[in-house]
Amino acid sequence: MTATVIDGKAFAAKVRGQVAEHVARLKEEHGITPGLAVVLVGEDPASQVYVRSKGKMTVECGMNSYEHKLPIDVSQEELYALLAKLNADPAVHGILCQFPVPAHLSETDIVAQIDPAKDVDGLHVINAGLLASGQKTLVSCTPLGCLMLLRDHLGSLSGKSAVIVGRSNLVGKPVAQLLLQDSCTVTIAHSRTKDLADVVRGADIVVAAVGRPEMVTGDWIKPGATVIDVGINRIDAPEKGLKEDGSVKTRLVGDCDYASCAEVAGAITPVPGGVGPMTIACLLANTVTACCRANGLAEPEGLTV
Amino acid sequence: MRAAIIDGKSIAADMRAEVAKDAGVLADAGWAPKLVSISIGDTAAAELYVRNQQKQANSAGVEFEARNYPAETSLEQMTGILQGLNADPRVNGIIIQRPLPDHIPVKALQKMVHPLKDVEGMHPASIGNIVYNDLALGPCTAVAAVEILKTLPMDMEGLNVTVIGHSEIVGKPIAFLMMGLGATVTVCHHMTRSVAMHSRAADAVFVAVGKPGLVTGDMLKPGAALIDIGINRIETPEGGKTVGDADFDSCAEVAGWITPVPGGVGPVTVATLMKNAVLATRMQMEQYRDAYARTDI
Ligand SMILES: NC(=O)c1ccc[n+]([C@@H]2O[C@H](COP(=O)([O-])OP(=O)(O)OC[C@H]3O[C@@H](n4cnc5c(N)ncnc54)[C@H](OP(=O)(O)O)[C@@H]3O)[C@@H](O)[C@H]2O)c1
Repeated sequence: MTATVIDGKAFAAKVRGQVAEHVARLKEEHGITPGLAVVLVGEDPASQVYVRSKGKMTVECGMNSYEHKLPIDVSQEELYALLAKLNADPAVHGILCQFPVPAHLSETDIVAQIDPAKDVDGLHVINAGLLASGQKTLVSCTPLGCLMLLRDHLGSLSGKSAVIVGRSNLVGKPVAQLLLQDSCTVTIAHSRTKDLADVVRGADIVVAAVGRPEMVTGDWIKPGATVIDVGINRIDAPEKGLKEDGSVKTRLVGDCDYASCAEVAGAITPVPGGVGPMTIACLLANTVTACCRANGLAEPEGLTV
Repeated sequence: MRAAIIDGKSIAADMRAEVAKDAGVLADAGWAPKLVSISIGDTAAAELYVRNQQKQANSAGVEFEARNYPAETSLEQMTGILQGLNADPRVNGIIIQRPLPDHIPVKALQKMVHPLKDVEGMHPASIGNIVYNDLALGPCTAVAAVEILKTLPMDMEGLNVTVIGHSEIVGKPIAFLMMGLGATVTVCHHMTRSVAMHSRAADAVFVAVGKPGLVTGDMLKPGAALIDIGINRIETPEGGKTVGDADFDSCAEVAGWITPVPGGVGPVTVATLMKNAVLATRMQMEQYRDAYARTDI
C-alpha cells in the first residue's frame, strides 16, 4: 500500500482563496477591510522571512498588513505600549508578535498583553480556556490547519482513534482539543510515554508534533492510518553536496520517516508542503474571523471550527 | 474483593485541617477568607449542596455567606451584583449555584466572576491556566479526582490513564491535569468505539459520565485505580440510593483501589472548594500588596 499524499500546499491555496472571497464580500457589503498587524523584534533572518511572507499573503488576500519592526533592544514598556495601541486600533483585527523574541522579553507575558479577541495566533490563556470549555475562540493556526486537512481528507472524524505525539501549548494540546471536539478518542503521548510505538500503532489518526527528525517510522503506523506530520526539522544532506561556504547542504524533514510511513499509511502529509503552508492560511482565516466578530457579523463560513 | 476502598472523607478531613491552618494565618494578616454563594430562583434544588458547603466552610475556618436572589432577577442585575462582589475586598470567592433560571446563561455568569475570585475554577482564564499547566484555581471536581489519585503509591510519570467522559468541567480538565503530571492520557466518550479496550490498558481510570454501571470489572486491568466521579440516583427494591458510574462490586474484584459513591470524590470536591478559597485569598492579598502596599521601593 502506498499512501495518498495530502497536498497541504494546494489546500492552503484553496483556503486563501476562500479568505480572499470573504474579504471581498466584507469590503463590498460592509465597507470593512480586515487588518493584520505583525510585530517583529530584532533582525533574526528566519523571522524576517516569515514576517515578509505573512505580509505578502495578507495583502494578496485583499487585507491590510501592518508591519511593526522594533529594535532588538526595545524595552518591554515600548513593546507593550505598541501592543496597547494596536489593541485599541479599530483598523487592526489581528495582532501577532513573531517569536522568538530576545531574552529580556517574555513570550507568555507578550501574549497576555494582546486582546484575546485580536489574538489570531490563539495563544492567549483566555483563548486556550475558551477552546477547552467548548466556547467561541480563536484557535492557534497550525492546529487549525491540521484539523482542516483531516476533515478534508476523512470527512467525519467521529469515533476515530487519534494519537497526538507532543503536548506543547502551541501544537499538541490544541490539536487534542480540536480532535476531541470532533469526537475522536484522543490519546496524548509525549516524552514520558511508555511504549510509544505501541500507543501510536493503535491510531487511525497520528499527529506528530515532536521536533525530532524522522522519529516515527512505518512500523509504528497502523495500516491505512492518516498521518499528519507537523514537525519541521533541518538535517544535514551530504548527498546534496556542499554550500558555497563549504558546509554541508541541508534539507527539511518531518517528525515522521516519510518513506517508511508512506508504505503503511493510508494518507500522509509531506514535509515540506503538508502542514506548513496551512499555518499562514489559517492565520489569514483567523484574521477574517476576528474582523467579523469585531463587527458583529456572522462567522465566516469554512474558516472557523 | 481485593480493591482497597479509598476513604474520600478522611482525605477531605486532612485537607480541611490544612485549610483551617492556612485560613488562620491569612486571618491574622487581616485577610480572613470569605466565600459568597449565589442561588437564583428555585433554591430548593441546590439547598442541600449549599448547606453542606456552609458546614464544611465552618469547619475549615472559611466564612460563608449564602445569598438567594428571586427568579425574576435579570442578567443585567446579576451583572451588577457580580461586579459589586468582584470589587468588594471583603469577598474572596464567588460560587454560582446551579441550576439557574433559563434566562441566565451559566457561562455568561462564570465569565463575569473575577479570575482571582473564581473558586469554582470555571472562568476561561482558570481553565486556560490548567491547559497551560499553570495550576492556580482549578475546577473543584477535577482537581479533587486528581488529588485522590495522588494519594496512592503510584508514579504519575508515564502512567497510562484513561478518562471516560470529556465534559468541560470534569473530564477534560482531568485529562490536562494528568497530562501535566506526566501521564499518557486517553480521553473516551460516547463516540468511542471500544471504551473497554482503552480502560483495560490503563493503570488509572477516571469515569465521569453519569451512567450507573457504565464501568464493570471486566473493563479494568487488575490492580488499576478507579476514580468514580459519577453521582446517580437510582431506585432499588430497598428504595432510592446514590451510586457512581461504576458497577462497584465487580470493579472492586479487579481494581487495586476504588473510590466509593458516596464518600469518595464528593467530600474531596467540597474540601477542594475550601482550599481554593484559601488560594484565592492569598493571591488577592499578594496582588493587593504588589499594587498598593509595596514598601521596598
Ligand atoms: N507551521 C508548522 O508546520 C509548525 C508550527 C509549529 C511547530 N512546528 C514544528 O512541530 C514540531 C513540534 O513543535 P512544538 O512547538 O510542539 O515543539 P515543543 O514545544 O518542543 O514540543 C515537543 C513535544 O514533543 C514531545 N517529545 C519530545 N521528545 C519526544 C520523544 N522522544 N517521544 C515522544 N514525545 C517527545 C515533548 O514531550 P514533553 O512535553 O514530555 O517534553 C513535547 O510535548 C517542531 O518540529 C516544530 O518545528 C511546525
